[in-house]
Amino acid sequence: MSAAREMLCDTARAVFAEAAEAGMAPVEAAGFDLLLVPEADGGFGGDWGDANAVLRIAGVAVPDLPVAERILSGLGDAPKTLHAAATVGLMAGAMGQALALSIEHVNTRQQFGRPLGKFQAVQQSLAVLACEVAAVDAAAAAMAARLDAAGLDAEAADFEIAAAKLRANRAVGIVTAVAHQVHGAIGFTREYDLHRVTIPLMRWRGLHGNDAYWAERLGRQVAGFGGRGLWETLTARAE
Amino acid sequence: MQGFALYPFDPPGDSSALRTDLRRWLADHQPRGDIVRRANCWASFDADFSRALGAAGYIGMTLPARYGGGDRHPLERYVAIEELLAAGAPVGAHWIADRQTGPLILRYGTEEQRQRYLPGIARGETYACIGLSEPGAGSDLAAVRTSARETAEGWRVNGQKIWTTGAHLSHIMLALIRTEEGSERNAGLSQLLIDLDTPGITIRPIIDMAGNHDFNEVFFDDVLVPHGALVGERGQGWKQVTAELGLERSGPERYLSSHALLVALIDAAGPDPAPALATLIGELTAEMWTLRQLSMSTAAKLAAGEDPMVEASVVKELGNGFEQDMPRRVQAVADCGWDDTDDLARLLRALLIASPSFSLRGGTREVIRGIIARGLGLR
Repeated sequence: MSAAREMLCDTARAVFAEAAEAGMAPVEAAGFDLLLVPEADGGFGGDWGDANAVLRIAGVAVPDLPVAERILSGLGDAPKTLHAAATVGLMAGAMGQALALSIEHVNTRQQFGRPLGKFQAVQQSLAVLACEVAAVDAAAAAMAARLDAAGLDAEAADFEIAAAKLRANRAVGIVTAVAHQVHGAIGFTREYDLHRVTIPLMRWRGLHGNDAYWAERLGRQVAGFGGRGLWETLTARAE
Repeated sequence: MQGFALYPFDPPGDSSALRTDLRRWLADHQPRGDIVRRANCWASFDADFSRALGAAGYIGMTLPARYGGGDRHPLERYVAIEELLAAGAPVGAHWIADRQTGPLILRYGTEEQRQRYLPGIARGETYACIGLSEPGAGSDLAAVRTSARETAEGWRVNGQKIWTTGAHLSHIMLALIRTEEGSERNAGLSQLLIDLDTPGITIRPIIDMAGNHDFNEVFFDDVLVPHGALVGERGQGWKQVTAELGLERSGPERYLSSHALLVALIDAAGPDPAPALATLIGELTAEMWTLRQLSMSTAAKLAAGEDPMVEASVVKELGNGFEQDMPRRVQAVADCGWDDTDDLARLLRALLIASPSFSLRGGTREVIRGIIARGLGLR
């Protein structure tokens, strides 16, 4: 990660920590609506990679605040596809947190005289969870690269946004199920933090296009490419 | 905790030109043949094709020119491999030699071994197999018992390997062998590079449930191999094999083996598919595209000289799941009879039958998940 993006993330962490108590005011004061606005127009001049990094933090720290909407407001009337793209960033962050909480819990909680994480059944479940988190991270990064190559033109990145949102949506079921299962009853309480990421994940799966919406849309696009055309298109778009 | 580190995939040179050249070459040289051979094509053996591909410079791409290689960057090779697999080219004959045996000989081998084996590998004429599993050492690889004792004349090898893919067609085997008498588990193992025409070696076929002969049993009965067969350091075989598996687990073959089925599905669906078919195509495409990102990132980490043990396992785990699910999901939606003779039906049947092996070869699903769990700090 570049030094500028590291600094941006440090700022985001500090602002969102404050916003978790105070609501949107600190986010508005910090000027996150200028994140994607070019420097020439008085903005921060960030790219989608920056937005993705900030949204990942927001997805954990302030999942219930409209941070994605605030960032996109700087672009004027952003299309629904960009809102879907922003949601992928939130989801990637929340899924990473679900994994981190799960690892911490199974390494700490003891049953039958040893930590849960020493049981093969638990290890295998968490490996499945980790794979989903990796997949969504990779999808979000590739989508960001395409959006940045296309100057944030959502239409030019329609394939990547569809694929990334669909992949993230499909990961939600596995991530929430495994994270809750390995946590046991404590993860089902109001007191413990797991619900602070799993409930938003359930909500985001249906927001700005559920699985069926993106799958049929992407499938129709690919049908237009034809069988061999899929590979040719997919490789050409990334180069 | 060691998570999945994302590395940018940035091959030197013009990779779209590399793709275009290879696609043009394939249009002229890829055998038309049976559509079913285009699926799982890294098991399709075609010596003429391998020789032609080697002559065109697409085998041993990363080996130094002085050994007949192409002096190319590993990510340029990755691009070429993607194209070969996406086209369903019959790369099985030279596959293992090109993917892992060649690079391993370059890294650990003596100058004599390099000069002796690498040029033939790069020409697509020398084929290799991997001698790991034994009757008592499957997932528990550290239980290998095949032994080699050093004598004045060379190594005396006794024992048995099993599930050895392509041994009956290969010239050499890179075998994991217990060279230290009385050693246990992963200590005392070494890698020996054995010419398979050496007296005392018997290779017997094992026919798989699809009726194919890929597997073999290989018996070593007091086989004398020269001292110079040792690859790398004596007693370091475990470490060398583990590094080699990173090359084996993360390549594009983990998500492109069944690409021919996706192509046939899209073509059969036509430009205006029914909703259920469009949905399935969309889901499979999203999964495949994501796997490609994971695999490219892992290749970039490998190319940077780092060990992507966990990343490679994630690619294999997700890739195997995708490739096993695909024929099942296609069967659930597409209108295909078991005995139909169109491309889609024949590919579907072949992959339904082949797919149980996907999460067995190269490390079982359970072993792979165990490696990921270790990376997470759970073991």
